[in-house]
Amino acid sequence: MLNFFSPTLALLFQEAERSRLGEMFYQTRAAAANPDLSKFLVIGALLFIIGVAGVLTRRNIIVIFMSIELILNAANLNFIAFSRYLSQTGNPNAVAGQIFAVFVIVVAAAEAAIGLGIVIALYRNKETIWVDEIDLLKW
Amino acid sequence: MNLSGYEALFFWIFGLAAIFAGLLTVMARNAVHSALFLISSLVSVAALFVLSGAEFIAGVQILVYVGGVMVLFLFVIMLVNVGAEERGRDEIFNSQRQVTASLIFCFLLVGGVLYSVNRGYQGLLARSDHPSAERIAAEQARKDQTYADSGTGSSKITRDSQSLGNSLYRYASLPFEIASVLLLVAIIGSVMLARTLKQEASADDVDPDLLKEEIARDPGLAKIEPQLE
Repeated sequence: MLNFFSPTLALLFQEAERSRLGEMFYQTRAAAANPDLSKFLVIGALLFIIGVAGVLTRRNIIVIFMSIELILNAANLNFIAFSRYLSQTGNPNAVAGQIFAVFVIVVAAAEAAIGLGIVIALYRNKETIWVDEIDLLKW
Repeated sequence: MNLSGYEALFFWIFGLAAIFAGLLTVMARNAVHSALFLISSLVSVAALFVLSGAEFIAGVQILVYVGGVMVLFLFVIMLVNVGAEERGRDEIFNSQRQVTASLIFCFLLVGGVLYSVNRGYQGLLARSDHPSAERIAAEQARKDQTYADSGTGSSKITRDSQSLGNSLYRYASLPFEIASVLLLVAIIGSVMLARTLKQEASADDVDPDLLKEEIARDPGLAKIEPQLE
């Protein structure tokens, strides 16, 4: 896709190509046009950290559960990316990454069912979904 | 890895969409909006799965997460949410100090994770079995050979599900069975947790002292006869 624009870009940056900034631009463009394993890992890491931030900062217990789903999903993204990478190195067991992802999805589904059951039971007894008001164990 | 052409374009679109939808999940005031943003984040990640050649996992992701888990989430939000937060009365985040501390922690985590991803990737690049461009092309050509003809014969179909199923039942059959037991336990556990006192009384599954207290508060409970099969 970026090759489609490259004649225009080349005209625009013909001068800049000789400078160091232009060199950096071309390197970045080449890296962006061919995303490799590291880009998948960075996206997975950012999703993971967004999930951690959600767990730590939100008060609504349901949104905290959603953030946990986000964390598990980021782990899945890493599994799949490494599975693809291993299959390109010719490893015959590369599909193992996808099997791990299946099990992560199973555990996430079980966790959501149990967690939401706990939320319903809690709401029935305490009439709240704010985690800072659920302080039975605090003294 | 090395996606190229349109694949690279779609990678950036869906990757950024996943990250922004994830951010909005955490920041949305209304829990229903959070759920919808989480759905779009999960669908974007499923698109990334397709781009990295895991079509089966992408399908499972959409069916199980978006079709099952998120519907469960929305159902519980409808059941539980009193609508206080979208009226803007309540604070959706923890107190200022907690948020500051956790954001500092998260920024440290971002730095640490990105640094270690970078270091680890440098290490991978230095390995002798790091796939070169020719190697990737050869592997892709070998994979293209394995594609089966579709029913009409006009296109090719990936064998990803087949290889995944083969490995799952051949090498991971015991974990597979354990996962089914885990799901059974989860079903039973969530049914047990979500029962009301009335339902527990009709199954004769309440502490007698507790039942006496509750009958004093709500005489209707006394009429419930335990129906034992």
